[in-house]
Amino acid sequence: MSAPTADDTTEHVFYAERPEWADVVPVVQYENIQPLAPIFYSPEYKDATDYFRGVVKIGEKSLRVLQLTETIIRLNPAHYSAWQYRYETLIAISAPLQPELVLSNTLTKASPKTYQVWHHRRLLLTALGDPAPELAFNEEVLKADAKNYHTWSHRQWLLAHFDQENLWADELPFIDGLLEDDVRNNSAWHHRFFVSFERGSNDDKDEAEAIVKRELAFAKEKIALAPNNSSAWNYLRGILDHSRVPYSTQAIFARQYIVDTVEPRGNDILDLENPPPSEGAELPCAAAIEFMADVHEASGNEGISEAVELWRSLADTHDTIRKRYWEYRIRNAVATTGKA
Amino acid sequence: MDLGVGALPALNSVGHVAHCRRCLDGLPASLVEMDASRMAIAFYCLGTLDLTGSAERKISTTDRENWTEWIWAQYVGKPLRSRQRFIRLTPRLRRRLSLGSVRGPSTDGPHLIMTYCALLALAVLRDDYAALDRPALARMVGACQDADGGFATTPGAGDADLRMTYCAFVVCALLDDWSCIDLARALSYIHRCRSYEGGYGQTPRGESLGGPTYCALAALHLVPAEHARTPRARLQPVEWRATVRWLLQTQSGGGFAGRTNKVPDACYGFWCGAALSILGAGDLLDAHALGAFLARCQYKFGGISKAPGEHPDPYHTYLSIAAAAIVSPDPKWELQPLDPLINATLDTARWAKTHVRVTAPES
Ligand SMILES: [Zn+2]
Repeated sequence: MSAPTADDTTEHVFYAERPEWADVVPVVQYENIQPLAPIFYSPEYKDATDYFRGVVKIGEKSLRVLQLTETIIRLNPAHYSAWQYRYETLIAISAPLQPELVLSNTLTKASPKTYQVWHHRRLLLTALGDPAPELAFNEEVLKADAKNYHTWSHRQWLLAHFDQENLWADELPFIDGLLEDDVRNNSAWHHRFFVSFERGSNDDKDEAEAIVKRELAFAKEKIALAPNNSSAWNYLRGILDHSRVPYSTQAIFARQYIVDTVEPRGNDILDLENPPPSEGAELPCAAAIEFMADVHEASGNEGISEAVELWRSLADTHDTIRKRYWEYRIRNAVATTGKA
Repeated sequence: MDLGVGALPALNSVGHVAHCRRCLDGLPASLVEMDASRMAIAFYCLGTLDLTGSAERKISTTDRENWTEWIWAQYVGKPLRSRQRFIRLTPRLRRRLSLGSVRGPSTDGPHLIMTYCALLALAVLRDDYAALDRPALARMVGACQDADGGFATTPGAGDADLRMTYCAFVVCALLDDWSCIDLARALSYIHRCRSYEGGYGQTPRGESLGGPTYCALAALHLVPAEHARTPRARLQPVEWRATVRWLLQTQSGGGFAGRTNKVPDACYGFWCGAALSILGAGDLLDAHALGAFLARCQYKFGGISKAPGEHPDPYHTYLSIAAAAIVSPDPKWELQPLDPLINATLDTARWAKTHVRVTAPES
């Protein structure tokens, strides 16, 4: 990538050669010292950062400082001092923040994995106080990378910080779409948990129960489509843990996934609460075996031997990379019941 | 999956040390985005030398003096902003901190992560911290703490996440001074980062991720016993079980993925492996499979990359070797033992603890 400048259409002119910057004394980074891990800076970067140090030294906050910091940020979007000084300058000279947000759109899309880019955006949105258009922008960035951690954090911050009904309204359909594209997108599953259960204190008991029911059904439906999906199983467990519902309530559902082959469906009426694995599903499902072992373990003494048998099958056949863990679970359960 | 327990390929320590030496000497212009975190690169490179037992042999007296001087130059600095600032407190900021409040994003703020990296890099170089103003360092850590208990990179920056909580806790542990922070609020912040999967997100309500999970657990276990009575300074048994389960679940194809349903990445061998070790469950992961994955991430000309076939960097080189130092996949991979809480060799961690500590009470 060639070094972009503040205005991509014009040739880059060094700050040292700009007459309007002649009054600033540039400050070089090193004098008589051998630095660790020095970077062989491009001439453009060195020039701009020398002038940046010069500007900071005299504490100047002006329109041209915005131009200078933009040059630096485009060359190095992780330059946190330039970002920080830029934001202080914007506030100090009461610059309009809407155009800054537009510029931020470009910079965010160009460097979506840089902390500073998102932090600056957060400062702007907080100051502007108009979060509504941000969800669409966020969705656009997620289109390029549906698992970008920063993008998701930003979305969760936006929802929680502004906490407006209209912001929350379409989150579930939005997640549905993402999970239809990729049912193993754990960020989307996590977001679903956030939206369903961590929105704030829910005093309405009936509503809380309805949400648990709805989400259990959702998770099971997705498991039926693709059983070997840790995200969906973790979500199912998460709901049960969160709402303190015993795993045994889902035993009828999970048991269908620990067999070797999909059982022929026949003419039975489909049990909507316990969707069976889709045809062609790869069985047995290790996550279901683990789940059933937990159900048996929780049932006490008589369940332990069944749990041990399931853990054994994980250790020896179905999940061998975690062999030591499953053997630990066996030792632990046997020791615990031995004491009881 | 091949679960053969045969010997692993050799660890190319000589090549990895050479890679780190090259990076210490200079980085190409294409890595300009690393400019603000060069102290971290110094820490990873020096740490690699330390873990492989090469710090004594591979660092000449001249280099040691020059590097130490450069690190301290970032501390005292000049009366202007250099991007490598760490604990530099200008007289102006010092006055503001002693007043007890810092308003708005500071222009002269120190950087908490770089402070952590600098203190440990100095420990590898066996510096005596004679120039360190300990009370000012403690005040700086306190000034980085936000009202909600989290820690920002610089006082008032408002960019808190668990990385800085971890760095703040290490500095408190090294100073042996926990009075400079609001510990109860800091612990509450950590617990708010816990997610339903059993891991921790970077910030409250975030998705479970290997790095922050390490930061959370190391921070909790750095809290000394006398403060551990503070409610929730350790995991509850039910939390311990969920966290161990989730950490082990992210081991996939030998390496650790860091998040559910992601591909393995060498650095998570450390973040997840060290987290398990801190929880006393380090023996439950498949060390041989992890070692085999890390061996495949070795670049033929030295250095380790995040995944096989990619280009190496100091971050993945150091963390892969640190992971190997913890899980010891092969006795032939001779490495120095690592302190998983401080993230340095035992000798270096001991050096930092004895030399950073405030010895005399402040008059
Ligand atoms: Zn990585």
